[in-house]
Amino acid sequence: MVRDITIGQYFPGNSVLHNADPRLKLVLSFVSIVFVFVCNNFYSLALVLAFTVVAVLSSRISLKVILKGLRPMLLLLIFTSALQLFYNKQGTELFVSRFITITTGGIFTTIFMVVRIICLVLLSSLLTYTTSPTQLTDGIERLLSPLKVFGLKNGVHTLAMMMTIALRFIPTLIDEIDKITNAQKARGANFETGGIVQRAKALLPIFIPLLVNSFRHAFELSLAMSARCYNGGEGRTRMKQLKLAARDYVLMAAEFIFVGGVIALNIIFESVI
Amino acid sequence: MSLLELKNVSYTYGAGTPFEITAIKNINLTIEKGSFVGIIGHTGSGKSTLVQHFNALLKPTEGQVLLNGEDINRSKHSAHEARFKVGLCFQYPEYQLFETTVYKDIAFGPTNMGLSEEEIKARVLEAAEFVGLTDELLNKSPFELSGGEKRRAAIAGIIAMRPEVLVLDEPTAGLDPSGRKKILSMICEYREKTDSTVIIVSHSMEDVAAIADKIIVMNKGQVYKYADVHEIFAHSGELASLGLEVPPVTNIFLKLKEMGLNIRTDIYTKDQAEKELLRYLQKEGIAW
Repeated sequence: MVRDITIGQYFPGNSVLHNADPRLKLVLSFVSIVFVFVCNNFYSLALVLAFTVVAVLSSRISLKVILKGLRPMLLLLIFTSALQLFYNKQGTELFVSRFITITTGGIFTTIFMVVRIICLVLLSSLLTYTTSPTQLTDGIERLLSPLKVFGLKNGVHTLAMMMTIALRFIPTLIDEIDKITNAQKARGANFETGGIVQRAKALLPIFIPLLVNSFRHAFELSLAMSARCYNGGEGRTRMKQLKLAARDYVLMAAEFIFVGGVIALNIIFESVI
Repeated sequence: MSLLELKNVSYTYGAGTPFEITAIKNINLTIEKGSFVGIIGHTGSGKSTLVQHFNALLKPTEGQVLLNGEDINRSKHSAHEARFKVGLCFQYPEYQLFETTVYKDIAFGPTNMGLSEEEIKARVLEAAEFVGLTDELLNKSPFELSGGEKRRAAIAGIIAMRPEVLVLDEPTAGLDPSGRKKILSMICEYREKTDSTVIIVSHSMEDVAAIADKIIVMNKGQVYKYADVHEIFAHSGELASLGLEVPPVTNIFLKLKEMGLNIRTDIYTKDQAEKELLRYLQKEGIAW
């Protein structure tokens, strides 16, 4: 069950997005997500959708994986659309009965919300799908490096290192949860029946060993790091230097066109939301 | 009488996904009541996957697992019951201790069985005695114990369920020679006293050969051979070619044979080695 979660996973590949500079990808996905919410009429919404589709296709990640990542959102989408559809009272009334009133405002908001949430999830998961955890933290560290001016000398590096380690240990811990769960099941632990309190209690035999083991990993790792003379970020050079290449400028240009397009369409056509 | 029987059992991890891996293929096995079976095989040969079928932790993709003639996967209830009848102790079991005292941790299994307080106490004390944990240790936190003690406490947690079959996955992994000896002699003693069926999984034959009476050799997800220990060692050369670590003493005899000596190679204990060497020396007329 833990293995079904694809958000935050990395799928190695060799596409335009995979090869792009991680700093650029971070900035571009942030900007794109902002503009998902800037669009305010159907023309700019269509552009946002088209942009997202092109981005997904250019990542060359199988659509199966992409759809699987969207599946957890299904319930949220249905629930919020239902709320919007039935309780939004703006615009002209289309259908009125004793219990429900459906208005144009409700329908428009629903469409916008669904498209926006899907695009939001897709764009943000594309970032992690196409960027390895090390590249990602490297990118974050470099983007945040201006903060050093504010006396956070080692802070940015420490933060990035912590993130790298945390991401690195997710698969290890998932593996461990599997093993511990099986071991406790072998002793007759039951995680499937009983009330909420009972089920929560049944998880203790998993969480306690998991916590203890995490500390063990942490101690071992810190020992291994200091044995290799790790002493923070100061004076540390890196093996891979980040440098913007020609293809990164192409991506940047595409993003400018997208942003310009959304703004232009927003100005030309009337806002509906 | 056959206690545990596997019929055409296959298991595929991640069936229906691109990451599909068939871990074991078409396994047919019968474990006799009261026997002491060793399962050996290279890393990734499917040993651990196989033993998780014995207590219904894994449901076979194909085939059946019968315990006392009944399919253990026929219902959720029967699968749950099988966990108590087939006690499975995983690799590095000390990382699964969680209770506040060793006593409570050993009692976890029996408590899940829904036994009475007195019955649980009797079983915990009995199990603790089998593995050599003193009363004083029982009241300590499991996290205060030494590595070897933790391992023994974890094994006691399985023994306390009084399983019909005790399955131990690599019980000596990561222990020093004296710790290994202790665990192995403890298992032998447990078996003599309770007459129960014991299955030991190991990648090193040395541990298993000396104590088991039958051996299953796993290779690439299939049963390569299942026979009495002496029969397995009659083909000791084959085992070495499968990449299995044969006991050092067997290795010596394999090398002697290679050097052209007319000597037996189905040797796996020191006593056998002594006898065979004396026989050889006498036959060759070398005075001793």
